[in-house]
Amino acid sequence: MTLWFEDIDTHTVWPLGEYTFTEEEIIRFAKRYDPQYFHTDPEAAKHSHFGGLIASGWHTVSVGHKVMVDFMFAHDEELKAKGEEPGVAGPSPGVNKMEFKAPVRSGDTIRFDLTVKNMRKSNSLPGWGLLTSVISAYNEQDELVYRSEIASFSKLRDYKPKLKERVMLAMAAMPVFRKLLRK
Amino acid sequence: MTNPITKDRLHFEDLKVSEVIQLGSYKISKDDIINFATEFDPLPFHLDEAVAKKSLLGGLASSGWQTAGLSLRMLVDEFLSKIAGMGGLGFDNLKWKRPLMKNDTLTGTVTISSLRRSNSHPEMGIVVLDFDMRNQKDQGVMTLSLTNLVEVRDPTAPFEEDAA
Repeated sequence: MTLWFEDIDTHTVWPLGEYTFTEEEIIRFAKRYDPQYFHTDPEAAKHSHFGGLIASGWHTVSVGHKVMVDFMFAHDEELKAKGEEPGVAGPSPGVNKMEFKAPVRSGDTIRFDLTVKNMRKSNSLPGWGLLTSVISAYNEQDELVYRSEIASFSKLRDYKPKLKERVMLAMAAMPVFRKLLRK
Repeated sequence: MTNPITKDRLHFEDLKVSEVIQLGSYKISKDDIINFATEFDPLPFHLDEAVAKKSLLGGLASSGWQTAGLSLRMLVDEFLSKIAGMGGLGFDNLKWKRPLMKNDTLTGTVTISSLRRSNSHPEMGIVVLDFDMRNQKDQGVMTLSLTNLVEVRDPTAPFEEDAA
């Protein structure tokens, strides 16, 4: 999300965008990351219970991530055009849950949306909020393709660190201290 | 109906809880990181070393989804290509514990933590696979629990007590 923590709510459904999968891309991704026969070989895949070639779930998820990043960039530009400063998103600590519900086949157009389900101020990272977002993917028949719950950080706009924290943050930003901290 | 692709592979009946699969290893290059990020995760700190050095990651690191994909590839090579796999149901508790930095070597183990028959599809077994991915310094990089389906050789066999 490119919103400040203070501007985020837990009811807005953000339509992130859509993507059409081709056989060539499904096979190329699978050969690199998930070379199981029903992802790489259209003939052999006919013998599987899927009845034909399907995209690796990890391919669908990676595409969903790309669609989200593109949406964030576009949303940043929209905010800037209105004279507003976009918020800052931090790295994701992980994914609580990922459910693959329906296969993706070549030619399918998949749409992705995001809703923030939970939000709170982070204890471990002062100045940041911790979000749990639900990202869902649907096919053209409105079947759920996947549902995921992803954790991420979002910066607080109005955060004023205490002096001690400001000194710590400044030290953490210096390469020599960062090396020590990493040890 | 026998599946000619998978008939000679390991089936549900051949797998055991607590079995540990040792994965291979992969050294990730700057080009690997930038190629994946360009296609799937084009955030500036995955694409540009100067930006990456100033970011929370402290240097050029792979997209978490690339780390996940590389880990899955290692499991396909060592395990999923040898069993009568039927695809995945999803995964739980994926934790990106530490970034995979340029020139780091990713390796790890996968442990079968649970095996049970599907109640609704007697021809399917459900296997849970716990990943513990590490770098060349044996530091934890990523953990996750993958839930996959595997063919049951004899779907007419009565259900045994589920292995824990």
